[in-house]
Amino acid sequence: MVAGHAPRLLLRIGGALFTLVVTLSALLLATFALSALSPVDPALRLVGDHASTASYEQARRDLGLGRPWIVQFERYVSHAVRGDLGISSSTGQPVREDLKTVFPATLELATLAMGVSAVVGVAFGLLGARRPGGLADAVIRILSLAGNSIPIFWLGLLSLYLFYAHLHWTGGPGRLDDAYEFTIDRGTGLVLIDAWRSGEPGAFANAIAHLILPVLVLAANGLGNIARMTRTALLNESAREYVTLARAKGAGEARVLLGHILPNAAGTILTVLSLSYARLLEGAVLTETVFAWPGLGRYLTTALFAADIPAILGSTLLIGVCFVILNRCTDLLVRAVDPRTL
Amino acid sequence: MGCRLAGLLTGLVWSVAGVAAGVPGTLVVAQALDDIVSLDPAEGFELSSESAFTSLYQRLVQSDPDRPGSLRATLASDWQAGNDGHSLLFTVRDGATFAGGHPVRPEDVVFSLNRAVRLNRSPAFILNELGWNAENVAGFINRVDDRHVRVRWPAQVGPAFVLNVLSATVASIVDQLEVEHHQASGDAGNGWLHSHSEGSGPFRIRRYIPHEALVMDANPAAPLGAPLLKTVILRNVADAASRRLLVEVGDADIARDLGPDQIAALRGKPELYVFECPSATVHYLLFNASNVANPVLKNPGLWEAARWLIDYDGIAGQLLKGQYLVHQAFLAHGFAGALDTTPFHLDVAKAKAVLAKAGIAPGVTIKLDVFNQPPFNEIAQSLQSTFAQAGIRLQILPGVASEVYGKTRTRTEEAVWLYWVPDYNDAHSTAGAFALNREDGTQSIAWRAGWHIPALSALTVAAVEEQDPAARIRDYEVIQTAVQRDSPFVIALQERAELVMRRNVRGYRQGLTAEMVYYDRVTR
Repeated sequence: MVAGHAPRLLLRIGGALFTLVVTLSALLLATFALSALSPVDPALRLVGDHASTASYEQARRDLGLGRPWIVQFERYVSHAVRGDLGISSSTGQPVREDLKTVFPATLELATLAMGVSAVVGVAFGLLGARRPGGLADAVIRILSLAGNSIPIFWLGLLSLYLFYAHLHWTGGPGRLDDAYEFTIDRGTGLVLIDAWRSGEPGAFANAIAHLILPVLVLAANGLGNIARMTRTALLNESAREYVTLARAKGAGEARVLLGHILPNAAGTILTVLSLSYARLLEGAVLTETVFAWPGLGRYLTTALFAADIPAILGSTLLIGVCFVILNRCTDLLVRAVDPRTL
Repeated sequence: MGCRLAGLLTGLVWSVAGVAAGVPGTLVVAQALDDIVSLDPAEGFELSSESAFTSLYQRLVQSDPDRPGSLRATLASDWQAGNDGHSLLFTVRDGATFAGGHPVRPEDVVFSLNRAVRLNRSPAFILNELGWNAENVAGFINRVDDRHVRVRWPAQVGPAFVLNVLSATVASIVDQLEVEHHQASGDAGNGWLHSHSEGSGPFRIRRYIPHEALVMDANPAAPLGAPLLKTVILRNVADAASRRLLVEVGDADIARDLGPDQIAALRGKPELYVFECPSATVHYLLFNASNVANPVLKNPGLWEAARWLIDYDGIAGQLLKGQYLVHQAFLAHGFAGALDTTPFHLDVAKAKAVLAKAGIAPGVTIKLDVFNQPPFNEIAQSLQSTFAQAGIRLQILPGVASEVYGKTRTRTEEAVWLYWVPDYNDAHSTAGAFALNREDGTQSIAWRAGWHIPALSALTVAAVEEQDPAARIRDYEVIQTAVQRDSPFVIALQERAELVMRRNVRGYRQGLTAEMVYYDRVTR
């Protein structure tokens, strides 16, 4: 039995690694090719429009832009596998260091938003599936549609105006008030943990005050999808024979929904949650911009406008890794909760 | 557990209530900082880094914040022009020290200017104007004794011009001992100065987090006096609407770069006021006469008609709501010798007559490149509408800045709407761009427009060599008039900086150019 499992496990790990390498290589190649085709000139962005021809040519040589792009790509990959993602031309720092700063900010925001939208979204889905077409279902449908269709930029600004500027219930743009922002040590890059560890009275509460709005705005945007998908998955399952059998045996509606239907729909719900989380980890550009949140989305957008190729590639690589890891984790979770997929 | 939760809730309420309170002695400025590439004065050449350099570093001489257009002794206590017309002897200010505590020595001056030329980053071309390059610069800047340094130059330029060049941020004096201590792999300390300061300005960098914030603490030993604030925080808030909310609530004391509608909404609020001052940035339309694909571009009739086809007042007043002034000469209002005449206005009938006389029939199409961001899109649409009235179809091609600049550098555009910011505080910085074509591929705007002007180029060269300041001003008036009347450029607008400030902010000063931003006398 054990002897039979080991090769299968090794095969799975090998398969996962192969998928990771192929996915990342394809992603990098596509991003690199698109960057090479872009009309934006990184050298000009670096030296400025007033630079002399000599300075401009020097910058092109320094950036290696004169070489064929496939040679530039090969050079980039050989450095990347050694952990050197290059120097960002827009921050002047190693991309790896930049990513260490911006990714935790996005990770924290995305994870908290995911937590909220998962709990509320699944709850909405359950409520909607309990009595399809009922009042609760209609209200949830409207809320889900609103969350999904209201532009996040507008919702963010409106919530800032109302809860921060008008009512003073929450913190404003940024991760902390200036009294704390530049004094506490950023060991982990996660503002809640750093604020807690700083021991400064009020820093942790201030971090929460600043997190509330961006987390809720992001969550509101994502929960509609989760609620609708959960409802659909539950309704699909509720038409199965085992549900009829459970009801025939006298199980109550709550027991049927939570004890029978939900576990069987868990695979679908987990997949939806995983995709939503991956989308948030890419960096919620608009939310990060409105809330002056120094995350991956804003970093990547700034890099795109600045034709900062090392930063674009480094960010793409990181997003790719997140996607692949999340995919794998979801597979494992789905297998764990649903033995039929083993 | 209950106590802890109660404490957290109390903290939360306190924290939110304290949002608007501000930190005593700290000024918070909400602005976009994404453009900063480096805070090394020998490298940084972006608007945000330039605006920080005056707080962090000093030059031998600098623009006088209280008398625009004049220089004041800064790290030099005085200077003397040599009889040869090609040298200046500077006396280093007695008792001046860097923020780190080292005294400012002539050696630091020699090191800093040599370093800036040899590093050869974006702003080095300003010092190259003096004839200095990486090979020869060492021979032109010499320590004379413990307090004096002599600066010489091979270029045919006068001392007045040299002083203006040395007031540029690239000529900032850095602490040689500290910079050398922090240099790595022969980078002349460039890596360190990316995010640290080693200068003698009124502030020093406490912390710089790219794309997030620049935090500057007061330098109590600043040679021209300690600043009145303890700390200045420049916070990167990319979105203008968020900047507006921050200053409205009081979490920021100053908000920069707000849109015209936002400024209008905040004007009149009792706790805020709008600080206004002209900026040296001028906007202009360029026709590329060297583009053979469209022969009409080199027709002077088109250039003249275009001057009558721009709705200057409409764009400045209604479209951009006062954030721009009508200005039709290349030297911005405020510069010595700037021409303030505005002979052109929207007159379609006159433009039609000029076009007919020049043999340009209605139906001509011209491609117009513009940056794909406000206010360029709006300006382009206004041009499209007024040019169409005279039978000229403008085909708008929006693009990102480096794409548009890339076209102008290779002279592949037809027409383009651009803006110009002087690189240093001397008329030649701008005149050398608009009225000097060396015909050798040097990237002046005149060359990019394919404008052949040997006589005007000679006059521009003579103006920079002129030793008499009054005669120089007269020269520049003549040159501006020539460009204003008959050139492939239609200079139309000058920007006006508008900042929204809290009422309790006092003593803020700002000048024409990007580096003329002064926080040292600010109180709040």
